[in-house]
Amino acid sequence: MPRYRIQFSKEGPARFWSHLDLVRNFERALRRAGLPVLYSQGFNPHPRFSFAAPLPVGMAGEKEYLDLELEQNISPKEIFFRLSRVFPPGVRIKEVQPVRDDAPSLMAALEKAGYSGEAELSGEISDAGLQERLQSFLALPVVEAAKKKKGEVTTRNIRPGIYRLEGRAGPRKVFLEMELQAGSRGHVRPEEVLESLAKEGGFPVLLETAVFKRTGLFFKKEKKKNV
Amino acid sequence: MDPRIENILRRVQRPARYVGGEWNALRKDWEKTPVKIVFAFPDVYEVGMSHLGLQILYHVVNRRDDALMERTFAPWTDLEREMRQNRIPLFSLESRRPVGDFDLLAFTLQYEMTFTNVLNMLDLAGLPLRTALRTNRHPLVIAGGPCAYNPEPLAEFIDLFVIGEGEEVFPEIIDLVKDYQKDRDRDRFFLRAAGVTGVYVPSLYLVKYQPDGKIGGLQPVKEGVPERVTRRAVKNFDAAPFPAAFIVPSTEVVHDRIMLEVMRGCTRGCRFCQAGMIYRPVREKSVETLLEQARQLVENTGYDEISLVSLSTADYSQVEKLVRKLLAEFAGRKVNISLPSLRVDAFSVDLAREVSRVRRAGLTFAPEAGTQRLRDVINKGVTEEDLLQAVESAFAAGWNAVKLYFMIGLPTETRTDVEGIAALAHQVLETGRRLGVPRGRLTVTVSVSCFVPKSHTPFQWEPMETMDKLSEKQALLKSLLKTRGIVFRWHDPRMSFLEGVLARGDRRLGPALAEAWRLGCRFDGWSECFRFDLWQEAFARTGVDPAWYACRKYAYSDLLPWEHIDAGVSKKYLLREHQRALAGKPTVDCREGKCSGCGLCVALEIEPELAGGKKIAPVQDSI
Repeated sequence: MPRYRIQFSKEGPARFWSHLDLVRNFERALRRAGLPVLYSQGFNPHPRFSFAAPLPVGMAGEKEYLDLELEQNISPKEIFFRLSRVFPPGVRIKEVQPVRDDAPSLMAALEKAGYSGEAELSGEISDAGLQERLQSFLALPVVEAAKKKKGEVTTRNIRPGIYRLEGRAGPRKVFLEMELQAGSRGHVRPEEVLESLAKEGGFPVLLETAVFKRTGLFFKKEKKKNV
Repeated sequence: MDPRIENILRRVQRPARYVGGEWNALRKDWEKTPVKIVFAFPDVYEVGMSHLGLQILYHVVNRRDDALMERTFAPWTDLEREMRQNRIPLFSLESRRPVGDFDLLAFTLQYEMTFTNVLNMLDLAGLPLRTALRTNRHPLVIAGGPCAYNPEPLAEFIDLFVIGEGEEVFPEIIDLVKDYQKDRDRDRFFLRAAGVTGVYVPSLYLVKYQPDGKIGGLQPVKEGVPERVTRRAVKNFDAAPFPAAFIVPSTEVVHDRIMLEVMRGCTRGCRFCQAGMIYRPVREKSVETLLEQARQLVENTGYDEISLVSLSTADYSQVEKLVRKLLAEFAGRKVNISLPSLRVDAFSVDLAREVSRVRRAGLTFAPEAGTQRLRDVINKGVTEEDLLQAVESAFAAGWNAVKLYFMIGLPTETRTDVEGIAALAHQVLETGRRLGVPRGRLTVTVSVSCFVPKSHTPFQWEPMETMDKLSEKQALLKSLLKTRGIVFRWHDPRMSFLEGVLARGDRRLGPALAEAWRLGCRFDGWSECFRFDLWQEAFARTGVDPAWYACRKYAYSDLLPWEHIDAGVSKKYLLREHQRALAGKPTVDCREGKCSGCGLCVALEIEPELAGGKKIAPVQDSI
C-alpha cells in the first residue's frame, strides 16, 4: 500500500499535548480530511501511521515526521492540501513525500535530533568564557548523567551521544544548539547535557528556566538524500 | 500567550487542559462583539468537556453575531498554587483573557460537591464572593444546571439563577445584558431579569425563619418580582438548536465521543431521581433529525464513536430503527455506536450486542435496590427476573463482566434489603458460571452509593441515613461480598452526607460554604482532595449543624428551602408519590399512555413529544 512521509510542526498550544494526544489528534484529523487511511486489522482497527519519535510534553518540534499508509495512491499535493485544513492551531503540515514500500520505518532509521534552547544565567559569563567551557566539556572522554528509573538512579555515559554542542552567551541568557543521539538505540536529552555542563562547574545557569525545542530529526542515510 | 502562563504550564500536571485551541473552538472578535460570556465549569477540563450542555450553549451563544462565549474550568490545585503565587487571574481558554473582563460569568452546577470550586473560581477571577459586594465593574454572575433547583446555599454568591433549560433562557438574558450595558445599573438589571420566566434573583427575596430554625416564609422584596420561579423547558425539541460541530478536545476527556442527544426527559418516575423530575416531559427527536445531526458531527469532528445519550436511551421509542440506520450508514466508515446506560432487560442487551462489535468494557445495569419490596418503594420497575434475563443475555453474547449499581440508605430500607443486594450479586455471578464464562474473567462489580434525598422528588421530605448507619451497611455488604469474581465498590459516606447537606440546605449554609473554601476545601468530589475535617471545622465556626439539614425529616407542612422554585411537577403529585412509596405501590410511566398526573404539562403548557407521534393527554385535575 502506498506510504507517505509527512513533515509537520507541533508548536503553540499543541506542544503541551502528550504524545498520545498527538496520536489521537492525527486520527481525528485524518478522518476529517477524508483520506482513505489504511487501518490495522483486528477488533479495534487503528489507522496505520507511525511517528519517528515522541516529543516530551511542553517541547515544541519544528520538523517532526510520521509515515502514513493509504488504501490507494493519492498525489502528495492532494494529501498536503487536505491535511492542511484539518488540524487545530499548533500543528502545521509542512511537507508530504511518497516513501518506498521497503524503506525502513522512521523509528528504526532515526539517529539524531537537533535542539535549540535557552536558559537564564545566575551569574556573569562572557561569550569567550562560554566557548571555553563548551570546548573543555566536549573534550571530556566520559560524561556521566544520572537517570532515575523506577526509583533507582543509574548513570550512563552520554558523551558519545553528543554530536554537536554550540552556544552563545547573552546578557542574562545563554543560547544553545545541540545535535544528540535519538531513537531506540540510545537517547540523550538536551536537559541532561545542560545539567552535566553545569555540573562540570563554572557555568552559572538556572536549570529550571531552560526551554528547548526540537529543530529537526536526522535519519540513517539511504541511497537517497535524507528527508 | 501570556509568557508567565506558558512558563507555569511547564510545571503543572496535564498542561493540555489549560491551553485551549481545540478543533472547532471559536475565538470571536472581542472588540466587535457586544456581549461577552464565559462559561465556567467548576471542575477539571476533562469532566467539563464531557458535558453536553456546554457544547449546546456554546453553539446557542456563538451562532449569534452580538454575543460570544468562551470557556474556563477549575484549575487543579497545582495550577491554582502557581496562579496565586504569580498573581495570574482565572483566564478563559479561547482568548486567555481574565474572566473579570467578561460581561457574564456563567456557572453550571452539575453536582453539589463543586460548590467550593465555584467560590474558588470567583476568587481566582478577582471578584468579591458575595453578590452584595460586587459592582458594575464586575461581570454578572449567573448559574444554572440541576443544582440550581435548590439554589439557596449559593444564594449570596450568585447574582441570578437560571431554572430550567439554558438554550431557552440564554437568548433572553443576552438581550437583557445588552440593555444593561446602556446604563450599567445592576439593580435595574436584576429587577428586569426577575421578570423573565425561569430566572431567579435571590437578592430580591427575603427569607424569614421561625424560632425553631424552620423557614417561616420567603417573600419578594420588590414589586414585580414573582413569588415563585417557574422552570423553562424547550418545546419542539426536534427543532431545538444543536451544534453541528462539537469542540473536539485535544487531550483525552471522560466522554470523548459524539454525544447525540436522542431525547430529553424520562418519565419512568423513579422516586429518588431528580433528573427524572426536572427534565420532564419526555421529548424525542425524530430519526431523520438524529441521522442528519450524526452525519454533520462525524464529518466535523472526526470522532469514531457516536454515543446515543439521554436519561434512558432504550426507552427512546424509535431506538431500534435509529440504531439500524446509524449502523447501515456508519459501520463501514469505522464509526462505532454506543449506549451509555442500559435499561435492566434483555432488549437493552440485544441492542448493546447489535451496536458493539467488540465486547470491551462490561455492561452496566442499575437495579438500585436489593429486594422487590424496596424496588417497588422507589418505583424502579425492574424485577429480579428482568435482571437475570439481562445478565444471561449479556454473558451469552460474550460479555465477561457486568457492573451493578445499587443504593443504600433508601427510605424504609431494612437489613433484608441490604442483604438482598449481596444475594442478587451472587445470583448474577452464578448465572455467569452456569453459562460457562471463564472463572478468571467473570467479574461482577457491585457499586453501592449512598442515597441522597434531592429537591423536587417524592423523597424530598425524607431524611438521609446517618453516616454511622451507612458505614454499618457498607461493612455488612463487604462481609457478604467476599466472593471470588465479585468486586465491591462503595462511596465515602462523609462525602454523601455533605452532598445531602448542600442538596437540602438553605441560605444559612452560605457562611459555612465560604468558610470551608477559606479553610482550603476544593474539589470536594475528588477523594484525594476531600477534607471532611475542614468542613466540620467550617460548620463549627459558623454555628451550623449539618445533620439538622441532611438527616432531618421534613414535614409536609414545612416550607422547604426550594419551595419558591417551581420545577413543573406539582407538590400534590410529589406528595402522592411519597405516600405510594411508603405503601410500596408502583406508578406507571406516562409513556404507556396513562398520565400519572405529575401536573407538569399543564403547568408548563407543554406536552410529551414522541418520535412515533403517539399522544399522551394529561389528566385535567392535576395542577
